[in-house]
Amino acid sequence: MTTQVLDTTVEAETPEGILLELRPAGFVPRVYAFLIDFIIRIGIMWVVAIITVPMGGFGIALGLILYFGLEWFYPVFFELSRSGATPGKKSMGLKVVMDNGLPITPAASLTRNLLRTADFLPILYGFGLLSMLLRKDFKRLGDLAAATLVVYRSRPITRSTLDQVQPLAPVRPLSLRDQAAVIALAARAPRLNGERLDELAALAATVSGDDGRQGPEVTRRVLAVAQWLLGRR
Amino acid sequence: MTPLHFEQLYGAEWDELASLLSRLHRGKRKDQEQVSGERLAVLYRRACEQLALARARSYPAYIVDKLEQVTSEAHQAIYQRRELGFGRLKQLAAVDFPQAVRAHAVYVWVALAVFLVPTLVLGTVVYFKPEIVLSVIDADTVADFESMYSQDADAIGRLRTADTDWQMFGFYIRNNIGVAFQCFASGLFAGVGSLFFLGYNGALAGAVAGYLTEHGLAATFYSFVVTHSAFELTAIVLSGAAGLRIGHSLLAPGRRTRAQALVVAARESVVIIYGVALMLLIAAAIEAFWSSSQWIVPPVKYGVAAVCWTGVLSYLTLQGRNAR
Repeated sequence: MTTQVLDTTVEAETPEGILLELRPAGFVPRVYAFLIDFIIRIGIMWVVAIITVPMGGFGIALGLILYFGLEWFYPVFFELSRSGATPGKKSMGLKVVMDNGLPITPAASLTRNLLRTADFLPILYGFGLLSMLLRKDFKRLGDLAAATLVVYRSRPITRSTLDQVQPLAPVRPLSLRDQAAVIALAARAPRLNGERLDELAALAATVSGDDGRQGPEVTRRVLAVAQWLLGRR
Repeated sequence: MTPLHFEQLYGAEWDELASLLSRLHRGKRKDQEQVSGERLAVLYRRACEQLALARARSYPAYIVDKLEQVTSEAHQAIYQRRELGFGRLKQLAAVDFPQAVRAHAVYVWVALAVFLVPTLVLGTVVYFKPEIVLSVIDADTVADFESMYSQDADAIGRLRTADTDWQMFGFYIRNNIGVAFQCFASGLFAGVGSLFFLGYNGALAGAVAGYLTEHGLAATFYSFVVTHSAFELTAIVLSGAAGLRIGHSLLAPGRRTRAQALVVAARESVVIIYGVALMLLIAAAIEAFWSSSQWIVPPVKYGVAAVCWTGVLSYLTLQGRNAR
């Protein structure tokens, strides 16, 4: 299938024997997520500095330790929380999982965030970006070593309201693939303009016995067949 | 069975599963406890079955998408692993960390050599030709070191900008643990980064030691470093060893692919890094509050240092040998 060449989805098999589709997030949303986290961290450090600096030596110690914690463990903390994502990733609709679809383990989270140092080299996440741009699953070096994946939290549900038209039985038996194609066309109908919909419907016109014809009437009949295939009678 | 019939028949189950999951994800603790794990597992397995059916029968995308959504969310909730906790920490300190160190013995020896050779070489060279120190460290820093370890400093090893032990404690944590993490992470570049940081830190330590010895500040310097170095130098060498393991897995992956070898090496060597972080915390506390104090006489410091060194080395070589 040609779609497999273009798709960046990663399939993970569960013990229940089904394939989960993971959709790895590319470099742009991840950069945005990083910037948001970066701003949050600066904000926290700013507040901490306001509180701790007047406290003298002990306060500075506290500030330095918090800075250290934020620098290395801020992502670890949030990745191990229930959402599996830092606030930045969460706001971009991303989360971190193991590349077999399981929730991230503490060891993996620590590994991927320690190896951030390697991703950062030579400057400004150079190696990390290179690795992400070269790979189909957009892993940076830390993700490679920790076997983790940054994925989109959920897929948009394409629930389309099919217009209620009088269902029409197909004029010939249809294979599963043909049925799926006709139903998928009906689902896409509201998002296509009239002419394009007519063109596409003409390709499927054999299902309603309108071979070789094209036009709104044919389209209506093909969509009616889709209704029938969905189970309306 | 038509898609609509399928949805009518099972749609209620998917919605129930989805609502259980949303309570689990967003609800309060009390609300979460009311979620029946048994019901969740049953619904999850049924949803898996129905997803397989829906895919095999090429049902419309919205049904398959909905099923994929609930199954993947439930999968995440059901297979969540919780391995953080006091028991885990105890297991780590009592067994896992020292065992991991011994499992990487070869890397530890190599790392030790890469650290120690520059230390000794530069130490000797600088002792006999003190001006060489300037090719490793810049003049201001050298002057800082000299004042930090002079007999009349109010606290040994304290930066001029820091006025309390606490401040130095914070500084040591941020700086030293950062160095160790860097030593580990840069092993990803075929081990070259770890070798560099080990050698560089070794050379630095050697140069400072040689220079201060030549300047007659040996008494304060060695009594300062001897105690916490049991934890600090060992930890740096261990983190370098963990980095070398990662680099080696890329150079010689054995019967695995490079990617697989890297994953295995990272999983096994990161255990060392847990221990290293703990050791450096201890080192920072000793360095800031014990090593730096002028009121403790050197003989006491050397005595405590001997205990620390024996303790650390026997912990790493003996602890958890019989545990599985």
